[in-house]
Amino acid sequence: MSQDESQPILQASLHDLRYFTTLLRGVHFPNIGVQRAVIKVTEKGLVVIVEEARSLLGTSYIFADVFNEWNYHPDISSNDQEQENEEQTPLQEQFHTIAFEIPLSTLIECLNIFGTAGGFGSTKSANKVRLRRTGEDSDDNNDDDANRSTGRSSRSTGRTLEHFFGGSDRTTSMRMTYIGPGYPLTLIIAEDSAGPTTTCEISTSDSEEHLDLPFDNDQMVLRIILKSSWLRDALSELDPSCEKITFIGNPPVVPDSNATAKQKMKARLEGKPIFRLEATGTFGSTEMDYPDDKEVLESFECVQPVRFSYRLALIARAARALQSSIKTSLRIDNEGLLSLQFLMPSPTSRHNARADNATSNFIEYRCLAIDED
Amino acid sequence: MRFRTLVDNIPTFFRVIQSIEKLQKRCYIKFTETNMQIICNHDSNEGGIQVWSQIKVSSLFSDYRIQSTANNEIIMRVSPEALVSALRSAAPNVTGSGGTGGNVGSIETDEVIMKLAKKNDQAVLSFEIKGFSGSGRRVRLTQDVRVDVEKIEALKLNEPMCPEPDIRDIVSPPLVKLRTIVDRMKGMADFLTFRANHSGHMKLEISSDMVRVETEWKSLSAPNMNNLASQDQDQETEKDPDKFFSVVVSIRSFLKFLSSHVISSTTIACICQNHCLILYVYIGDVADAGGVLTYYVPAIIEDD
Repeated sequence: MSQDESQPILQASLHDLRYFTTLLRGVHFPNIGVQRAVIKVTEKGLVVIVEEARSLLGTSYIFADVFNEWNYHPDISSNDQEQENEEQTPLQEQFHTIAFEIPLSTLIECLNIFGTAGGFGSTKSANKVRLRRTGEDSDDNNDDDANRSTGRSSRSTGRTLEHFFGGSDRTTSMRMTYIGPGYPLTLIIAEDSAGPTTTCEISTSDSEEHLDLPFDNDQMVLRIILKSSWLRDALSELDPSCEKITFIGNPPVVPDSNATAKQKMKARLEGKPIFRLEATGTFGSTEMDYPDDKEVLESFECVQPVRFSYRLALIARAARALQSSIKTSLRIDNEGLLSLQFLMPSPTSRHNARADNATSNFIEYRCLAIDED
Repeated sequence: MRFRTLVDNIPTFFRVIQSIEKLQKRCYIKFTETNMQIICNHDSNEGGIQVWSQIKVSSLFSDYRIQSTANNEIIMRVSPEALVSALRSAAPNVTGSGGTGGNVGSIETDEVIMKLAKKNDQAVLSFEIKGFSGSGRRVRLTQDVRVDVEKIEALKLNEPMCPEPDIRDIVSPPLVKLRTIVDRMKGMADFLTFRANHSGHMKLEISSDMVRVETEWKSLSAPNMNNLASQDQDQETEKDPDKFFSVVVSIRSFLKFLSSHVISSTTIACICQNHCLILYVYIGDVADAGGVLTYYVPAIIEDD
């Protein structure tokens, strides 16, 4: 068979690449050089998987409806030897998965080539350029203006969507193509039709076996759902020099129905905290208790007293995803495996351009507990 | 040897010096009766990038007086960094690159005099800054920048010799935008390929084992295509307008050139294939330029 004649396995496009970049940044660990990620492609979307130190697994689920255009054509008819194994597994029949490995840091840098990918923690210079750009936009007397209006008319669909988005910023669009194994992931990025176009070819490699940390809900001992900001504020209080962070959970005390309000208060103060974060470092230790209050912990399930410690440096990797998320689901199983699921804001919630059946994108981190003997 | 002038256009002077600040520790400044010439030609600066500039006296200075035994020319070696900080106190409101915004609460400048003086047996370029403090009081501030006055003949300064450019005079996109893009590329490769053709296309490309990134601009103007001398034009028309010419340069050198984005004016690029990239950064409008900074970025010759 010849690859060139067949359709590319994946072809997707975006009018505004910012949201997509945010979902990728959630699993990107800056300052560690080139970070590799496994990308799995299915009919439903992309799954981006990263790992660190064989004990932290980060996964970003990016559903197909994030993209304005999503064409996935798995090469099922292929007799490729590499793919044979996959096809024979019955599980693969329903959703044919293609996986490859890429340098994630490079992908993100490429998306931000014009300094327009936005998001948290973009470099200082990028922010500055963004400021300058908005400044340019406000004084509409430069000759660039003529070009821009032509750009607007020729890409009317993109522009109308952008009006829904409500931002005065010009958006950067992107088209992504993956022909198949052995081919690079190609991105074509354009700021507007009058401006420059950037073509990026990021080399891909076969995905190697990555860390797998299955979470068994039957073994779950602690489950908390809370607003991300409550967790974010707590984690940001911790001194980064701390080695480890301990999650402590206790089953809530069922208040005596006959007790007075005062007694209830007293019982609450004396009782064990239902959820506590503890970190010890060179300069002291920090303890933070969450109150047994639906306002704070939307849901709290704890079957037995739980106490597990994790390396803070690993937990801190989740900070960026936590930052951009709305809600967090925190689970711990009886072996101490921690699962943090961050619900990302939906790209459509604010602008309801495509409100129907949008799936929520989320980022999950799983982390093994430190063995404490 | 006498040299004294009023500095009228502090912001431009500041930005010009700022854009060469990162290039090398010491540069030459030559003052003649009509021009100020800044020369950065040090071999030791990384990548061998050179800057030769001509700035009209009238675009920066007034009441300009110069006398010397060497044809009324004075050349001095100076640290651009020191010059930038001296000028910054004279121009608190200049917003430059790198977040060096104005110092809040500094003086409002009334008059700036630059002169060559001798203090404690050391030649200095002395800036006398007169102005008003925030509370309206008169302030006088003097900033001395140490300089070494040199003998012109002894220096043997020669502008780089370049062959006839293969691509001449393509108008570069705004340098601020280029800088954002090249900043991203910097992390991915060490060398940058700069390509252009005669029909206004320009491409910047990097490639490594991991990634190939190419940014392309179309329909950039190339002014000289129209107003070249006629014999040149005949030659031009014979050339294929779509043929690309390229030069490979060090990304870090190219970024040093891009710090001239603070001048934010027209920039024109020329390619001498396998030799160098020449960039003219105009001060003010091209037609009525108050001066031009010429950057020579040497080609990296890849050995295959």
